[in-house]
Amino acid sequence: MFSKQFSTKLLALFIILSIVVSMVGCTTENSVDSSAQAPAEPAVEEKTEIKITDHLGREIVIREKPERIVSGYYITTSLLIALGLEDKVVGIETGADKRPIYSLAAPQFIDLPNVGSAKNFDLEGCIALEPDLVILPVRLKDVVESLEKLKINVIAVNPENMDLLKESIDMISKVTGTENIGEKLKAYYDFKLSEVKNLIGEESKERVYIGGNSDFLSTATKNMYQTFMVEAAGGINVAADIDDTYWATISYEQLLAYNPDVIIGVPFAAYTKEDILKDERFKTVNAVQKGQVYMMPDAFEAWDSPVPSSILGTMWLTSILYEDKYPYEKFKEDAADFYKEFYGIEINKEDLTK
Amino acid sequence: MRDECLPKNINDRGMGKYIVIAGLFLFVFFLSLSTGKYPISVSDIISILTGREVKDIARTVFYILRLPRTIMVIISGIGLSIAGSVYQIIFKNPLASPDIIGVASGANLGAAAAIIFLTGGTLTIAISAFAGGVCAVIVALGLAKLSRERGVVTFVLAGIVIGSIAQGIIMMLKYMADPEKELAALEFWSMGSFASVTADKVFTMLPLFLIGFIGIILLRWKINVLSLSDEEARSLGVNVELTRWAIIIFSTLIVASIICITGLIAFIGLIAPHIARMIRKTNDFSTTILSGFVGAILLGFADCMARSIAGSEIPISILTTFIGAPYLAYLMSRY
Repeated sequence: MFSKQFSTKLLALFIILSIVVSMVGCTTENSVDSSAQAPAEPAVEEKTEIKITDHLGREIVIREKPERIVSGYYITTSLLIALGLEDKVVGIETGADKRPIYSLAAPQFIDLPNVGSAKNFDLEGCIALEPDLVILPVRLKDVVESLEKLKINVIAVNPENMDLLKESIDMISKVTGTENIGEKLKAYYDFKLSEVKNLIGEESKERVYIGGNSDFLSTATKNMYQTFMVEAAGGINVAADIDDTYWATISYEQLLAYNPDVIIGVPFAAYTKEDILKDERFKTVNAVQKGQVYMMPDAFEAWDSPVPSSILGTMWLTSILYEDKYPYEKFKEDAADFYKEFYGIEINKEDLTK
Repeated sequence: MRDECLPKNINDRGMGKYIVIAGLFLFVFFLSLSTGKYPISVSDIISILTGREVKDIARTVFYILRLPRTIMVIISGIGLSIAGSVYQIIFKNPLASPDIIGVASGANLGAAAAIIFLTGGTLTIAISAFAGGVCAVIVALGLAKLSRERGVVTFVLAGIVIGSIAQGIIMMLKYMADPEKELAALEFWSMGSFASVTADKVFTMLPLFLIGFIGIILLRWKINVLSLSDEEARSLGVNVELTRWAIIIFSTLIVASIICITGLIAFIGLIAPHIARMIRKTNDFSTTILSGFVGAILLGFADCMARSIAGSEIPISILTTFIGAPYLAYLMSRY
């Protein structure tokens, strides 16, 4: 009994082994064959060098299309999905589980090895993934230099505003051979921005207050992307008088003095719309009295930062400020079309709250 | 006189513990070489060192990142502990640590200023931190000179004054900093890390470190004499003031050259000398040398943990604090 079972197992093992061995043999033969059959054409393609200059002013020459990409910045990680490169990504920044767009459009990202954040980048962990392209924010300049010494292709980007975002799209799409999609994405931004501009016309503009995500009293200042977004959507950022590049903390009194017509809470804010509406201290503020307090949706991405879908933030705000000209339902359709076109997902329009 | 500084009668105390220390030191050295996110096994290291065939990338990771980092950790452990031990001897205070004269606060201020006002990379920060550390000590020494009191207490007080002023300015800089980038960089600097150590940085700091280190070695017997009272030291023909100054300046070179690269490293300079004293049961220069090895072992272990226990790097001072603070509590309960 025992010996029979044992011999059956042995036979099975033998069969499996022989299949594996023959398959390995086949694949090596095949690969040899294919390289022998098609000699000239791909060789020419491989030799074409792609040169770009990144946001640190470094010239980068890429000889082969990258197949293993590491992205250490959420903006470029999202861009890689938009460019249809999600299957080539082998490592991303920390906190993937906190980015809804990953679980929607590239759920495999959640389980990818993480290479740390801009604060503490995991250099060896990144190298261990054997990437042939690493994309990092410019503030990781030292890491960029170390990777350079290790002869790993690395692009440093600084997508702080719409123009820099477009440049980042150019660089990444060029080296990955996805220029078509990149151009399409940029054309969409331009088209929508001019559409919104025509739509608004010369109407008197509403004064908007942007509440930051950790604290309602931290607000977007003059040189931030949020100010660009408010202005593109036909509003005035009340805090644009603070000449800074980062969130500034203001006092209650300052907010009362600003007396905005509309209050916007950014995505992933630590407070709710009700918190603001119910707060006794704000009840004299115009926006609160008129009930014009809105929270930017956070079911997808933080549209108030220059992510590839940030154009939707401008469009969302336009439909808040000028609903008569750009109805909210129309915005929902546009947003759904955007995600379908560039991220390949059907979004739930119910998630487009305000 | 000089012979007293050398580890005499080692056999009496038992060679065993020194062999254990040496073994641990070598173990930590190789552990540090083989620990990291990029897999390099011990056999890979042997292949690399003997020049045998090994993956190109493994070789570059080893020479560009792993080896410089390990050397930096060893140097830092030795340097901080020796400086701590020397200070504990000359200030006759078991709680003296390398930053007692304000070198750490000064370096922190230098780094903070570079992060906020200068745009360069980590080398700029390192240079500024080094300058800050050295300047703080020079100012503290000048301040100590103002006092008519010639004892060691003056130095400690001057250190506290300079440290506080530096902290005040740092707070101001933190207030001015952009919270996400600059403030984060500043906070991370003050927690210390070996993550960004490269060969260039080690070569930059090494000459300064060596000047300080050799200076301390040359002054070794005078350091022993300074553990006596000032009168006794004078009667042995030692110029107490001048010697103290020289020792402080050499120690400052050691400490500043280390922390300007790594950021602040807590507690190692305080506890390694205590452990060395517990092993040797004396407090002379041989104990100082031993504390260097103990510090290197402790810091080596801590840095291996920093690299491996979490998904990303953990700042080194978090780990050294968790080793150091309980030990301090233990000392507290003993005294």
